[in-house]
Amino acid sequence: MENVTNVASATTAETRSAASAAAAAAATATAAGTSPAAKHAAPKRITAKTITDDEFFFGHKACAGCGGSLAVRAALKVLGPNAICALPAGCMSAVGFNFPQLCFANNAIITPFAATASVLSGIEAGLRAQGIKPDDCTVVGFAGDGGTADIGIQALSGAIDRNDDILYICYDNEAYMNTGIQKSSLTPFGAKTTTTPAGKNAHGCLTQKKNMFEIVAAHGIPYAATATIGYLPDFMSKVQKAASIKGTKYIHVMAPCPTGWGCSVDETVELAKDVVDCGLWYLAEYEGPEVSGKPGGAFTLNRNPREFASVEAYLRRQGRFRALTDEEIASVVAGRDAKWETLRSACC
Amino acid sequence: MIEVLWHGRGGQGAFTAARLLGAAASMRDGAYALAFPSFGPERRGAPMRAFTKIDDSAIGDRSAIKRADFVVYLDDTLLDASDDAWARELKPSGRVLVNSVRRFADPRIVALDANGISAEILGRPIPNTVFLGALSVLCDAVRVEDVVEAIHQYMPAKLHEKNERIVEAAREQLLAERSNALTSAPCESVGADVDACPSTDTAENAENVSRETLQAENVGGTTETVGQDAAASAAAPAIDADVSRETSDVVRSCAHIPVLRSHLAEPPSLDPADYARTTCYPAGHLVAKNAGWRNERPVVSAAACTGCLQCYLYCPDGAVFKTSDDATAVEIDYDFCKGCGICVKACKFNAIGMIPESEALAAAAQHAAVAQPAACASESEVSAR
Repeated sequence: MENVTNVASATTAETRSAASAAAAAAATATAAGTSPAAKHAAPKRITAKTITDDEFFFGHKACAGCGGSLAVRAALKVLGPNAICALPAGCMSAVGFNFPQLCFANNAIITPFAATASVLSGIEAGLRAQGIKPDDCTVVGFAGDGGTADIGIQALSGAIDRNDDILYICYDNEAYMNTGIQKSSLTPFGAKTTTTPAGKNAHGCLTQKKNMFEIVAAHGIPYAATATIGYLPDFMSKVQKAASIKGTKYIHVMAPCPTGWGCSVDETVELAKDVVDCGLWYLAEYEGPEVSGKPGGAFTLNRNPREFASVEAYLRRQGRFRALTDEEIASVVAGRDAKWETLRSACC
Repeated sequence: MIEVLWHGRGGQGAFTAARLLGAAASMRDGAYALAFPSFGPERRGAPMRAFTKIDDSAIGDRSAIKRADFVVYLDDTLLDASDDAWARELKPSGRVLVNSVRRFADPRIVALDANGISAEILGRPIPNTVFLGALSVLCDAVRVEDVVEAIHQYMPAKLHEKNERIVEAAREQLLAERSNALTSAPCESVGADVDACPSTDTAENAENVSRETLQAENVGGTTETVGQDAAASAAAPAIDADVSRETSDVVRSCAHIPVLRSHLAEPPSLDPADYARTTCYPAGHLVAKNAGWRNERPVVSAAACTGCLQCYLYCPDGAVFKTSDDATAVEIDYDFCKGCGICVKACKFNAIGMIPESEALAAAAQHAAVAQPAACASESEVSAR
């Protein structure tokens, strides 16, 4: 008798079987067509015209208009067939591995929730120990904001401390979307989630978004960057740059979620542009002491707009900010201005 | 026990409707109801099911409904016409209710323009509560006053009045159609269906059916919408021929991409001794298309396309791909396009437009009949917009 009432246990079983299938796939399907140095021979700027026709994340079951899936697709197009992916619990593993469907053309594996960075370390060490790591192999993780800033932060911090040769990409959709929109520590002030509902006394999330980029940079990591799916060429060139650097790399990419943000499915790319244009997200890079040659490392602001687009327009077009008052929006604007003052003084 | 099976897409409110129906049915003294959804890890837009069980004693069986008294389709693209699979979900006297502007020859299928009704009242097509109204007409265990009470108890106050009007409008339409059906030939509207039929063969079938005034044994599965499912191929070659011209002929000239391989692989042996080996699949092993997720599809106008490739770059599904041929720089892989419309916004030259999926399928069928490439149809539709 098919029992469908116990959704939680069914999902766990499914995830488990998908994980073992993925592990099996990773073990059996050794990367085909290895041609070392084919990709990074001439690191010219990646554009829509020059990027490979290959699709490595395809056929997945993400919502229409999903920002996270665009980030994974674009990153893998840059990293190529020899990249090996690890994904913790989160939307991208849930929509990428529906046994027997495997939507990654690369080797890919599901990790325990907290262990993205540890599994990346293990994969990389294992490849080297066996002497089978291709020259153009990037071991890359794709974790959500909850899997990075809450649950996976200690493993990530440990990997940076060991300086393992991995690339960690956090696709930030600003809440636990896979489980139905719960607040994470990267949920911004004022956003309505199921655990920060908008009511009479509170209009959404009461806390500010944790600054993961600066937390990671404070480790003295070789390379860290922020990006957005709204400016994809910028994101892709950062992925390309990260792949060329040895040691731990971290990219934090803003990836709107139509379901959780309360926008239409065709608006996610626009919103991901808007969030940068209005100054609530910034595009920056940090290069550690060894990469930059400067003690303490170097911080670069990639975009320093003279004028910002309207914060209010950005917030008001999303359902999750619907309950915010004008005063609350003014406080968001004030917070933005204070942030930019420090940003500008740090790098200009 | 009265069992109602709801087919919808994530986000259409199938589970809400299943719950409201259960709540309404349990208002009567001594009545019990159970409602629950069934979904996998697929997301908004993906097909899902919900169930309502209604009985005069407590319901212990919490498993999915296999055969129902009423099967409701909130989206007519989910009603797979490739075989009589839909009929197998019905109990002997069961009925199908479908959200569609088409009319169906099979008397077991009741079509309601639920999108039209709800769009008129709510401003947005949210079809679920239309069927609560319909079921209050068709199902004795569901009284309209209880449906209204359930709406009051389980929906936010601001939605009460509008949903009551939706329920009333649905009842009126159904009752009006019933009285019409009594006074006119049952198959007068099969013509509307023929438009959607992919081949003249099927169209002839439909006509035969109408001449034979609906002999139930002849009509099963001949005249509904074109199924979007890959499963269509085995059961109905005529239908498959049309769909495949747009879908299965997609040739993508890249070395690495996940591909549909389900039809190549033998079904795995379930013997425990073999299971670990037979259920091992290579990376990029796909078993299902995503084409059934969309209600609208993007079409590229060759004349306006400048080859900037922004649509290709920003497609979250990789469903836009570069072509080698010079007519357009890009084509769309309709097997995997979910119809999000990001490509339309990414295009600065208005070279991509969205058209309703039903229109595209009808146009494809029409052009197949006169043996013309479907691309022409799509293009003229874009420029018409």
